[in-house]
Amino acid sequence: MGRRRGASLQRRLFLGALVFVTLALVVAGLAIGLVLYRFARGQIDARLDGEIFAISADLKTGKDGPVLSYAHDGPPFDRPRSGWYWQVRTGEGILRSPSLGEAELTVPRGPEREDGRPAPADGTGPRGEGLILRVLRLAGPRDAPETVIVAAAPAATLHGPLREAGKTLTLALGLLGICLLAGIAVQVRLGLRPLDTLRRELAAVRAGQRDRVPEEQPQEIRPLVTELNLLLDQNAANLERARAHAANLAHGLKTPLATLAMAAERSAEPGLAPLVAAMDRQVRHHLRRARAAALGGPSRARADLAGQTRDLAAALARLHAERGLAIETEIAPGTSVACDAQDLDEMLGNLIDNACRWARSRVRIGAARSGALIELRVEDDGPGLSTDQVAHVLQRGRRLDESVPGDGFGLPITLELAELYGGDLSLERSDLGGLLARLRLPV
Amino acid sequence: MKLLLAEDDAALAAELLRALRAEHFAVDHAVNGEDARHLGETEHYDAVILDLGLPVVDGVTVLRDWRTAGLTLPVLILTARDGWSDKVAGFKAGADDYLVKPFRVEELVIRLRALVRRASANGATRITCGPLVYDSGLGSFERDGLPLRLTGLEWRVLSCLILRKDVVVPRDQLIERVYDGDAEVDSNSVEVIITRLRRKIAPARIESVRGHGWRLHAEPDA
Repeated sequence: MGRRRGASLQRRLFLGALVFVTLALVVAGLAIGLVLYRFARGQIDARLDGEIFAISADLKTGKDGPVLSYAHDGPPFDRPRSGWYWQVRTGEGILRSPSLGEAELTVPRGPEREDGRPAPADGTGPRGEGLILRVLRLAGPRDAPETVIVAAAPAATLHGPLREAGKTLTLALGLLGICLLAGIAVQVRLGLRPLDTLRRELAAVRAGQRDRVPEEQPQEIRPLVTELNLLLDQNAANLERARAHAANLAHGLKTPLATLAMAAERSAEPGLAPLVAAMDRQVRHHLRRARAAALGGPSRARADLAGQTRDLAAALARLHAERGLAIETEIAPGTSVACDAQDLDEMLGNLIDNACRWARSRVRIGAARSGALIELRVEDDGPGLSTDQVAHVLQRGRRLDESVPGDGFGLPITLELAELYGGDLSLERSDLGGLLARLRLPV
Repeated sequence: MKLLLAEDDAALAAELLRALRAEHFAVDHAVNGEDARHLGETEHYDAVILDLGLPVVDGVTVLRDWRTAGLTLPVLILTARDGWSDKVAGFKAGADDYLVKPFRVEELVIRLRALVRRASANGATRITCGPLVYDSGLGSFERDGLPLRLTGLEWRVLSCLILRKDVVVPRDQLIERVYDGDAEVDSNSVEVIITRLRRKIAPARIESVRGHGWRLHAEPDA
């Protein structure tokens, strides 16, 4: 979920940028195209207008129509069908550029300009080619017909270079767009990198590799990290309080229960002692459940497996001092697991204690890493368990042999805690002859 | 054998005192950590039963102070705290044994006797002195294979002597380990007990060392 949302944030930023960059480049392209068109058209118009003004200055009206004093056949008006034409018509009389030959240009009627300058128009040449026209209408004196001077240039002279310029322009703008988008993509990725770093740091917190998220973060993320750390602290404080509550409850309940147990032992009432024992089992069971629930998921602590095993082995050697057991511990110093120290003590204590209760003379403890887990092996040379007994012993609140002291919750509680940390517990036969308990915990 | 019981809960303490005295132990009772610490530093005890949740000064602090001061008396922690971390912390502070409430009196007594025996550097659970055998697990005496019937005070005196057999036990130390802290001590009563014991354990002998104390012997004098 978080991962998918993270990806869409990048995509959203990138798509937004893509839309705006494309829009901006298209507008820029159109604007530049328009300017180019105006410029090229202005050049052609100026040339045609020059021709028109030269003709109109030279123009006389003869008997049969307009007369010019010289030919006005400078190139490209001399080359037949060149597309560069001019034409003067007064009434029925007509004069043409050599390039036009016998053909005649059709002049569309258009709005006349008041300023005596040529007006723009479009037309078609004798070969059917598109033409750009400039038209100057000169009103004749009194009833005489007006004189229309037309100069034409091939539309291709305008559109050809424009098309070429357009191609270059599109290519340039396209390249610019790609560079911009690449830049934005890099920027988005770089900009969002602290989020990815933050995610990895949070994962490290969850895995128990660190206590808090480091505060050295980009300014925009720092308040978020501060809040996160406050939340983590609050969580830890709540956990601590819940544990303290459970401990207080244990103390408060157990001392009167101990008194009651002793009174029951003295009393002649036969049903009292089992009742007290049942109460004690219930209290212990629910206190342990409360403790496990107070955990609320994997803690971010790390526990020193080697050191805690050594301490527990020493404690258990004393608790079982009368048995004279040999407890061998073989764990490389510095081996640690991602687990709360108290919970590790509970799991290890239960396993080693169980081994000590059943062992004849030896208890062996070892640890080895297998992938992302550390496997702790606790084995004894006691009677061991059959497959049926293994299934039975891991059930909550059961106890295999009621005559051996112990509350019977040890192994199920250990299994429950191990699963809470993403590990597990399995029981099999040891080559020492007794039980081999394999406890797997994340590194 | 003399014990110090440090327990603040009056009802539990009353039950414990009754049960321990029924098992022939002499017991002093401290209701808070400060008193317990003081008693442990000034009196001679064979073992201490220490509650961790004591008022004024908590049990772990008391224990740590004793160990820092070089006191080696055996300490059994008796507490409601049943977490393994608590147990490890208790042993690290210098405890010799740890028992969680609620407990069976039987187990407490067995553990106390074992503690005392281990502290007196006697490896075996059965201590023999001539015809006399002391079973520290059961807390019972036999003479020539037959159970020996003893009163509470006789048991305290004899267990104290047999744990230090062939060594002179000073008179004041014996008296300290036989009587409860609040009991009226009649200076002659120890002599009376010793006299009664001599009759019961013959041919083993309790030798009087003038001006010093007593010594338990296997062999009768030549």
